Amino acid sequence: MLNRLIVLVFCFLVAVPAVSRSAESTCFTCHSKDDFRGRVVHRPLETGSCTGCHNPHVARYKGLLNQQGAGLCYTCHTGMGRGIEAGKVHPPVLKGQCLVCHEPHVSSRKNLLRAELETSCFECHGGLKSRYQVSHQPYSRGECFSCHRPHQSEHDQLLKAEPNKVCFSCHRLVELRKGHQGYPASLGNCLTCHDPHGSKRAGLLRNMLHEPFRQGCRSCHEQRGQTPDTDSCLKCHAEVGSGRFTIHNHITGKKTNTCVSCHSPHAADTSDLLRSSQDKVCRRCHQDTVSRYRDSLYKHPEIDKCTDCHEVHGSNELAMLKGNGNQACTGCHESQGTFTHPVGSDIRDPRSGQMVSCTTCHNPMGSDFKYQLTYSGAQDLCRQCHKSY
Amino acid sequence: MRHLTVLRCMLSLTVFVTFFAPAEAMTAAGGWKWQATLIAPESDQAVQLPSSLFVDEHRKRYYVAESAGNRLLSFDRQGGFLNAFSAGGDLQTPYDLVRDDEGLIWVVEKGRNSLTSIDLKGQEVTPHILTDQGKNLIPDRLDYRDRRFYALDRMSGGIARLNKSLEVEQWFRCQECEGAFVDFKIKPSGEIWALTRKDHRVVWFDSDGGMLGGYQVEEHVPFPASLALGPAGNVYVLDRHEGRIAVFNSTGEFKYAFLTKGQSRGQLYYPSEILFDPWGNLVVVEEGNGRAEIFSR
Repeated sequence: MLNRLIVLVFCFLVAVPAVSRSAESTCFTCHSKDDFRGRVVHRPLETGSCTGCHNPHVARYKGLLNQQGAGLCYTCHTGMGRGIEAGKVHPPVLKGQCLVCHEPHVSSRKNLLRAELETSCFECHGGLKSRYQVSHQPYSRGECFSCHRPHQSEHDQLLKAEPNKVCFSCHRLVELRKGHQGYPASLGNCLTCHDPHGSKRAGLLRNMLHEPFRQGCRSCHEQRGQTPDTDSCLKCHAEVGSGRFTIHNHITGKKTNTCVSCHSPHAADTSDLLRSSQDKVCRRCHQDTVSRYRDSLYKHPEIDKCTDCHEVHGSNELAMLKGNGNQACTGCHESQGTFTHPVGSDIRDPRSGQMVSCTTCHNPMGSDFKYQLTYSGAQDLCRQCHKSY
Repeated sequence: MRHLTVLRCMLSLTVFVTFFAPAEAMTAAGGWKWQATLIAPESDQAVQLPSSLFVDEHRKRYYVAESAGNRLLSFDRQGGFLNAFSAGGDLQTPYDLVRDDEGLIWVVEKGRNSLTSIDLKGQEVTPHILTDQGKNLIPDRLDYRDRRFYALDRMSGGIARLNKSLEVEQWFRCQECEGAFVDFKIKPSGEIWALTRKDHRVVWFDSDGGMLGGYQVEEHVPFPASLALGPAGNVYVLDRHEGRIAVFNSTGEFKYAFLTKGQSRGQLYYPSEILFDPWGNLVVVEEGNGRAEIFSR
């Protein structure tokens, strides 16, 4: 009896790898094994578990895959699936497009990356220059992950930590103080003056300098450590001040200075001295708007240029538009301003008594209906007002 | 056969109720039903960006500040339009208003950056610039309780309590909040309940400015615009972009949400303020639809 049991266990132990080898060799009778050789091999392929991802007979998805997109990856990489639920998420990860960056089978690079890191990142982040006159060393070496995380982060720009902490992880404060003689406050807020990738200026100072900053700190900081308030800014930028006395304005209610919520008082990349690109500055407070329209089926082109339609300092119009629901649109859509469904102050929306305008039927930023309509153009939209239609 | 006839009648009735029931009979979550709409008559100009509402319990009147139309509109308790007042065309972007014990109307005029008193009997309109320690305030939301004014200052993001001489005697500020307040309401006990936009927080203070507590509402209210304190102790928080109201108990536990975005009756489009009237109704002021809607249950 015992002998029989030993023989049975022995057969089982021999048979199981044989089955795996059998599965592997079955696949490779047609699929050339040479196509699956590389320095880094995906574990299921290495162990001959092709069926971990593919169904050998029939499947719903291309490549006979068991599942589509990230869902397949997360069956093994379970921690990754859980980790992306919070904070800022890299858009390809959010869309479940793991293969934008990773190879599914083999690669010559760590983590099965499709290309060298800098090449891979620049495929999407084409707006960044590949070289600057003065480049940050990790950037010029293509070491994006020195500062950024690839999948998810609690911090803007997918940074590994708060911006200052990231900077201070390499740059010792003692050394930095030597280069900031006379700086009127404690060191920090590095990105308000420095471009972390590169610039034309020594010390990675951003290319556009605020004129008072160029003249020296004392232009605004009369006393060491003093923080100028909004009135200090308005001494020169008086035309912006009237925006405070509108129905909707962007006074952020900071205890000291509201201008610097969006603008850098020292140096920036653009002449309006915004702290970052326009859409990023706006997104810091209006993430809900970005999230709502990001996944719309039909989006307004160049949706990231917020100031094309919105008066960002202050407006007496709904949603801080540059004019009413017609004026804001007809600046670009000229023909619709003259030839369209009746619009204007004499035409009232029967639902609310409000003036019929472009925004009565269109959601200008985006919607799930063609032409960014608020309801389906087939019938639902018209019947909102034309009940007997 | 008779059973079949009865069944056919029942089915017909169901179809009738489903498709022809008036919209106002629809009941939202929490049992809330549309009751009335405060809107100017069709013969009048369209109401332009109403921003806030004040209820005069004694006179049984609703007063709406029409910011872009530069008017104050009055309605009776049933929602009937009574009058429009523009101080002879002199009002400049009226944003919020209250009526004091002497019968004076006080209006936050954004265009003038003033708290303006209006004496209807004396026909006198007097703007007052609010200051504290030599700096001008930028008043926004306004309330009046026990012969004191409460004004949300956009510049500092805090709430100032002012005496009848319009001197600041107390500030209510959230030191741990990153952003400013966007609305506040006062409980009969004197507690101040306030809402921050950037932090998505409801916080409350005692009458001496000491912060008593706070909780997060971000999960249910992505863009908070206003809050109201319900008679049963619940806190109602308005989302401007979603056109929805989320209800929390006093400890911040989410209970339910109701209403949706839209232009039809009972829907909200760019709402700006919510408040409870003295008769237990919930009133929602909508900039986008140029009206205020009254809900009850």
